[in-house]
Amino acid sequence: MKTLLTNPAGWKSLITFAILFLAWVSGFSARLFAVIRFESIIHEFDPWFNYRATAYMVEHGFYNFLNWFDERAWYPLGRIVGGTVYPGLMVTSGAIHHILHALNIPVHIRDICVFLAPIFSGMTAISTYFLTKELWSPGAGLFACCFIAIVPGYISRSVAGSYDNEGIAIFALQFTYYLWVKSVKTGSVFWSVLTALSYFYMVSAWGGYVFIINLIPLHVFLLLIMGRYSYRLFTSYTVFYILGLVLSMQIPFVGFQPIRTSEHMAASGVFALVMAAGTFNYIQTRITKAEFKFIFIFATLVTSGIVLLAVVGLTWAGLIAPWSGRFYSLWDTTYAKIHIPIIASVSEHQPTTWFSFFFDLHILVCIFPAGLWYCIQEYNDERLFVVLYALSAVYFAGVMVRLMLTLTPAVCILSGIAFSKIFESYLKEDGPITSNGTKTVEEKQPTIKTPSKSSQSSSSGSGKSKKKPPTIASLNSDNSNGEGVGSNIRSIVTISMLLVLMMFVVHCTWVTSNAYSSPSIVLASFSNDGSRQILDDFREAYYWLSQNTDNDARVMSWWDYGYQIAGMANRTTLVDNNTWNNSHIALVGKAMSSTEPKAYEIMTSLDVDYVLVIFGGVIGYSGDDINKFLWMVRIAEGEHPKDIRESDYFTERGEFRIDSQGSPTMLNCLMYKLSYYRFGDLKLDFRTPAGFDRTRNAVIGNQNFDLTYLEEAYTTEHWLVRIYRVKKPDEFNRPRIPVLERKIRNPGASTISKKYARKKRGIIQGKPIVVKGKKPKSTNTYTNGI
Amino acid sequence: MMFTAMASHRQCSICGHASDEFIIVANSYRYSHRLTESPLYFGIVDFDEGSDIFQLLRINTAPVFMHFPAKGKPKPLDTMDIQRVGFASEMIAKWIQERTDVQIRIFRPPNYSSTLALTILFAICSSFLYIRRNNMEMFFNKNLWGVFSVLFCLNMISGQMWNHIRGPPLMHRNQQGIITYIHNSSQGQFIIETYIIIVLNTMLVSGAVILIDSYTKKTDSKSRKILTVGGLALVVFLFSVILSIFKSKAHGYPYSFLIK
Repeated sequence: MKTLLTNPAGWKSLITFAILFLAWVSGFSARLFAVIRFESIIHEFDPWFNYRATAYMVEHGFYNFLNWFDERAWYPLGRIVGGTVYPGLMVTSGAIHHILHALNIPVHIRDICVFLAPIFSGMTAISTYFLTKELWSPGAGLFACCFIAIVPGYISRSVAGSYDNEGIAIFALQFTYYLWVKSVKTGSVFWSVLTALSYFYMVSAWGGYVFIINLIPLHVFLLLIMGRYSYRLFTSYTVFYILGLVLSMQIPFVGFQPIRTSEHMAASGVFALVMAAGTFNYIQTRITKAEFKFIFIFATLVTSGIVLLAVVGLTWAGLIAPWSGRFYSLWDTTYAKIHIPIIASVSEHQPTTWFSFFFDLHILVCIFPAGLWYCIQEYNDERLFVVLYALSAVYFAGVMVRLMLTLTPAVCILSGIAFSKIFESYLKEDGPITSNGTKTVEEKQPTIKTPSKSSQSSSSGSGKSKKKPPTIASLNSDNSNGEGVGSNIRSIVTISMLLVLMMFVVHCTWVTSNAYSSPSIVLASFSNDGSRQILDDFREAYYWLSQNTDNDARVMSWWDYGYQIAGMANRTTLVDNNTWNNSHIALVGKAMSSTEPKAYEIMTSLDVDYVLVIFGGVIGYSGDDINKFLWMVRIAEGEHPKDIRESDYFTERGEFRIDSQGSPTMLNCLMYKLSYYRFGDLKLDFRTPAGFDRTRNAVIGNQNFDLTYLEEAYTTEHWLVRIYRVKKPDEFNRPRIPVLERKIRNPGASTISKKYARKKRGIIQGKPIVVKGKKPKSTNTYTNGI
Repeated sequence: MMFTAMASHRQCSICGHASDEFIIVANSYRYSHRLTESPLYFGIVDFDEGSDIFQLLRINTAPVFMHFPAKGKPKPLDTMDIQRVGFASEMIAKWIQERTDVQIRIFRPPNYSSTLALTILFAICSSFLYIRRNNMEMFFNKNLWGVFSVLFCLNMISGQMWNHIRGPPLMHRNQQGIITYIHNSSQGQFIIETYIIIVLNTMLVSGAVILIDSYTKKTDSKSRKILTVGGLALVVFLFSVILSIFKSKAHGYPYSFLIK
């Protein structure tokens, strides 16, 4: 027992373990704001589809899931779900569900889905620790681990309830990189096989696997150029490439893409290069230098020419697909803006301001170039990898806000290195004890623990204040300042760095709590006395749909709400967040932006029963359909330039307005009418006139109008969601005539000839009995048999 | 029809660009359409030559693009709104299509300047390499690569890519004539602002590097102390400056460090 306590290695591993555990716990608990404030619920849009698919898989089994044809989406086209999703997420939570049920722990699949991302964030933290440990030192690894556990850039995609591919993909990304670095270091087949397996998991989980399959070849290529070819590199890359290629093609959605699309070509090119390098290395040992030089130049020219011709030829023949739009827009940064409005319309695909860099990464974004600097200064094979990782990720993050997610781990690693270098120097005692490595590690631990500890309980700073004094005391205690900078300066440096880190922790908690923890299907508003009001309009509307409409009713809405309608209301949608068919979306956009009769033609051709619009004018919700309306117009204009023109929706002065100054096309389009139907009669409070739109701060221009082709079916409590029923053709072009004014033609009148009357009688007899229709069960179900 | 004022004493620099774009559209039309099938004529009126037409149409500014339909008077929409859509030739073509249903594919004369610049750059690089062919050590210089990659990172994190894609104004001058360098919302930024940030970030990073190097590099005790304190001051002070700029942009952000 005594030896155990005095053994420094034992302490070291205990402290390491404790810190990793605490990082996991604090990362997990920091992601629970939404669950505590609202309830255990799936967030936003895409997670609803993932949840629906997972529930389907748990219910029907894996193979049925792979063959699932979803006829409730993209009516009338349908969607082959099994072939168009990355199944990793569903399989992961399905497996957890299965294991827990095998252990007789009855957890609902929804709870697993809600808590999956926070659990995996802990695993991300631990694999980051291992990666950084391989790259630099265990101390830097602990820093990086604590950073990534709480950094907002990662929390933004992994709060409880955001059940999305990225939640598990970042773990797979980091783990693959760790295994790759390990396999380059050791050159063993074992590690590279593990790399390929982990890569397989990543491919099954997220489309971002393309980042791996380009970054690793880039790393190999750089090492080759720098003349750092070795048998370790040869083994690890060839094993990884072949296995990874074969495994990645097992995912139905990926299929033959790895050998057919340009995004994957770099990997095979580098594979050929590694082979060539291996061959030359072998030849070099057998023949003289002059001969080798000749062969080398000759072979290089011939092979590169052949490869170039082959690639060009295959692309021309259509066997290799050129870059897809989303990837292309990463290189030519203005491409999407001009050519693909549907990519440009998504806010995640916008470029990143410095503000959002700082918002998501705080001190880390300022300090990580220093870590990069040291990685280049003291470079070796694996550090070059992290340099490439950081440089490519920072470029992508600059182009697209969404790819901030891939930058975050790199920044955490590099700033972990920078901070660990600072603390390594300034916590070290100047005396002869410094030669003892374990001593410095031991001293470093308390400082690392402070961020993770305080994030766990940001309100109670007791744990923090307890931890700090021993560090400083131990620093002050030694007075030997021979070569060093003196204990005072050292402690000043330490304390100020700790303060900066504390700011980081506080910032992370604040950002998580304020920016990234709203489920967005349940809104919260705060009244003046601070009490909170929950606006649950979305779920109210979806529940209404599920209870009051036919089981196979078709609901038309803008594509943002497709997954939610399918997931919560279980009704057929026309378009959803899987934006694979641009022309279908453009058709819906066209219906929304044309006048009522024209829209009715489109809606009947698409068999629409209900139309759902989001309207925020009553509560001042800015993400509603009128604010998105210009994108509908733009997307519709892209496909139907003859019928829809964006300039028609602006006033003559080029403004987008909804008040009386607005353009007549705008004031008469379907979206306007559906949003503002009966809104002109609504007086929100005493100060504002009737029909005052709070989101756009204007009185609406077209106030008193009636709908001919649609009728209002349901409007939620705060008017956030409005549902309209599309009338059948016989309902609006046959106006109801009061009974007294009805003229009933006498069958025995003299105007009808005898012959005709006889004929008519015969027809009636021949006809089957027309039943006038069952009485509708609910007011809105339309079951008239005509 | 384009109304413009090209004479040099009018000092209308925008007219020159607009007229270039207009001529591109006209040339594209001439190349792609035969004149017989859809007669569309492009004309230019210069203020110094036809000021009476300007007065007739009550045009006070230049350049103005107007469409005169074959029948009837031009409607308000027949004047192109260059305030909103700009006067790029693609936009002019789109506007013409809206007004007349004549589709014009823009054939821009290929821009040789960037190709030329690239070729010159390439030539300089290769000649430099050729001269220094016996001395390739600069490629193995870690400092050079380090500086390059750190500068690249700093460029990206200060939002230069956003500037490149969005093209924000350099700075903003409000009605009172007060110049603001910092965009007051979190959604936007000015070019000057990103330069401020990139300078602050660069100094912060160099401060951190000085702070670390001062301890590990062998120097005498006094200069080491100075470097340490200097590096630390740079890091902490500049960080708090950045944080305060951040705070001024993020409304309702509660925390600050050293500086309000």
